[in-house]
Amino acid sequence: MSLQQDRIVGVLLLAFSIWYGITTRAYTVGFVDDPIGPKAFPIMLAILMGLVSIYLIVQPELGQLPSLAATTWLRMLATLGCFLLYALTLNWLGFVLATALVVTLLTQIFEGPLLRSVVASLVFSLVMYGLFAGLLELSLPTGQLIQQMLGRT
Amino acid sequence: METLGLLLDGFQVALQPLNLLLAFAGVLIGTIVGMLPGIGPINGIAVLIPVTFALNLPAASALILFSGIYYGAQYGNSISTILINVPGTPASVVTGIDGYAMTKQGRAGPALAMSAVASFFGGTVSVIALMLFAPLLAQWAIRFGPAEYFALMVFALTMLSSLTSSSFAKALISTVFGLMLSTVGYDRISAVPRYTFGNIRLLDGMDFVVVTIGFFAISEIIEILEKYVKNQDVDTHVGRVLITVQEFTSSLWTMIRGAVIGFFVGVLPGAGSTIATFVTYATEKRFFDAKGELGTGAIRGVASPEAANNAAANGAFIPLLTLGVPGSGTTAIILGALLGLNITPGPLFIQNQPEVFWGLIASMYIGNIMLLVLNLPLVGMFVRILQVPQWFLLPAVAGISFIAVYAVNNSVFDLILMTIFGVIGYAMRKTGFPLAPVILGLVLGPLMESNLRRALNLSQGDWRYLVSSPLSIAIWVLVVVSLLLPFVMVRIQKRVTSVKDEPAES
Repeated sequence: MSLQQDRIVGVLLLAFSIWYGITTRAYTVGFVDDPIGPKAFPIMLAILMGLVSIYLIVQPELGQLPSLAATTWLRMLATLGCFLLYALTLNWLGFVLATALVVTLLTQIFEGPLLRSVVASLVFSLVMYGLFAGLLELSLPTGQLIQQMLGRT
Repeated sequence: METLGLLLDGFQVALQPLNLLLAFAGVLIGTIVGMLPGIGPINGIAVLIPVTFALNLPAASALILFSGIYYGAQYGNSISTILINVPGTPASVVTGIDGYAMTKQGRAGPALAMSAVASFFGGTVSVIALMLFAPLLAQWAIRFGPAEYFALMVFALTMLSSLTSSSFAKALISTVFGLMLSTVGYDRISAVPRYTFGNIRLLDGMDFVVVTIGFFAISEIIEILEKYVKNQDVDTHVGRVLITVQEFTSSLWTMIRGAVIGFFVGVLPGAGSTIATFVTYATEKRFFDAKGELGTGAIRGVASPEAANNAAANGAFIPLLTLGVPGSGTTAIILGALLGLNITPGPLFIQNQPEVFWGLIASMYIGNIMLLVLNLPLVGMFVRILQVPQWFLLPAVAGISFIAVYAVNNSVFDLILMTIFGVIGYAMRKTGFPLAPVILGLVLGPLMESNLRRALNLSQGDWRYLVSSPLSIAIWVLVVVSLLLPFVMVRIQKRVTSVKDEPAES
């Protein structure tokens, strides 16, 4: 089990470095002042990673992925889902709602008590908006939904 | 005398209300992120980078804030280590050996107090050293040309690869991966787009804030899910946080040794505060512990690593500010931020921007005093933050990460990138690849490539130019030495024993 893991990683990395090296073929310019051009550095990196990954295949180290319960994997996937959901809804719902929603969902993955989680997430979202958008002058999206609602009234 | 005058000028910068406020904010945030397991100074700084850009902070102010977070974290990181034996950052793992033993004996108060005092001692001694050595090194480094810089950056990367992880091969792959990420986007010299796959959002390259938060904060949150236990009660009864005069004097030499060794280890690229604690504690145990007290709850066992990690954090500013070459993940982030503010640290930095350098030095004296107050009488307040339930703390960390990542380019695309890097970071943690070298590679990559190309431009393509000066040959010799270091480190780590995780961040 254990030695195989590094071998697989090594093979993947070797493939990656070959692809990374081959991709440089497209990067040509006739630049007089720049004798090695935009290719040379990436090629050096590709060769270096290729060599080290071959070493890893030949000389793997002991290692073992943790064996996790199915529910743990599900929670991890759900967490990633939350991150993507945030990216998808941020511009539409606006910062305050999207943050409150996604942080609430995350607290549920971490088994927080429902009512307190909702309240805490909403307060968190409002405080962060006040702090970062108000005090610290970051521009955070108001949200198309909110803008439409404000536009109607 | 000249130093004194410059320092007084520095205090004029540091004592401006805005800068005092930022120093305080920095050390406060530093103490908190240092204390909370899983969040380190690297995340604290990364999150605030977009804010400093949005507020248009002057370079001196931004540097005062970021460095405050960095050395403040070296104070805070021992709090959770001592109380619950969960290190706040890897740099306090060693503190836990004696610190947690003291807590089990009901002596948490003196352990926390010693940690604060030793941190202050190490911090202050090393600021003095930084103030005296940095200008000297800068003068010497003026003769560095592109060939020397290229070699120096290779040295920083091989040092970090050698020292950061138990597997040199994997650390090297992490480093190269970071360098590869840095090639994404417009080539800065020929304007050829590389590795963008026709995606215009990638033309400006991978933003290091997005990558760092993905790698460190997001992957950490995913990893915590593995062994997440909902209810974790923290005993926040710390008793009186004081040490006796006798405890102080008996630890004085330990602190001096910790500060000196820590500082010099910190100056070395790649070594950083975590390694400093290992080296110092190992030295203490080997040469100054005839009675075998260390490891049984000795207060000296807290003093030694805590003086060392603070001294190392300040020492790490020397290569960063005088050479422009950071040696760790955290200093790499600070370099990235400075470049974004149009400040290029290097040999001329202290000369050309004395107000930034001396303002920083003065703020460090002030910041260390603030930290002593925060960590002695007020430590009980911070301890309460450890009681914030995990079910809220982790989602909140995610929420703050979102803000910072979005704010970099006001782009939702970056949130997706962040998630992808979170997954890659998790996979790397699980397969034993250290993360800090990726960040160092990403930040140093463009500088390395441009110095390489500048050098070869000077020589019209003759690669022998890279090893043509005695100075560059000397640095390449150091590169070879750094490649041999893993074998030495394994022996030091064995001596400390009972220390589990690899230092992932320093």
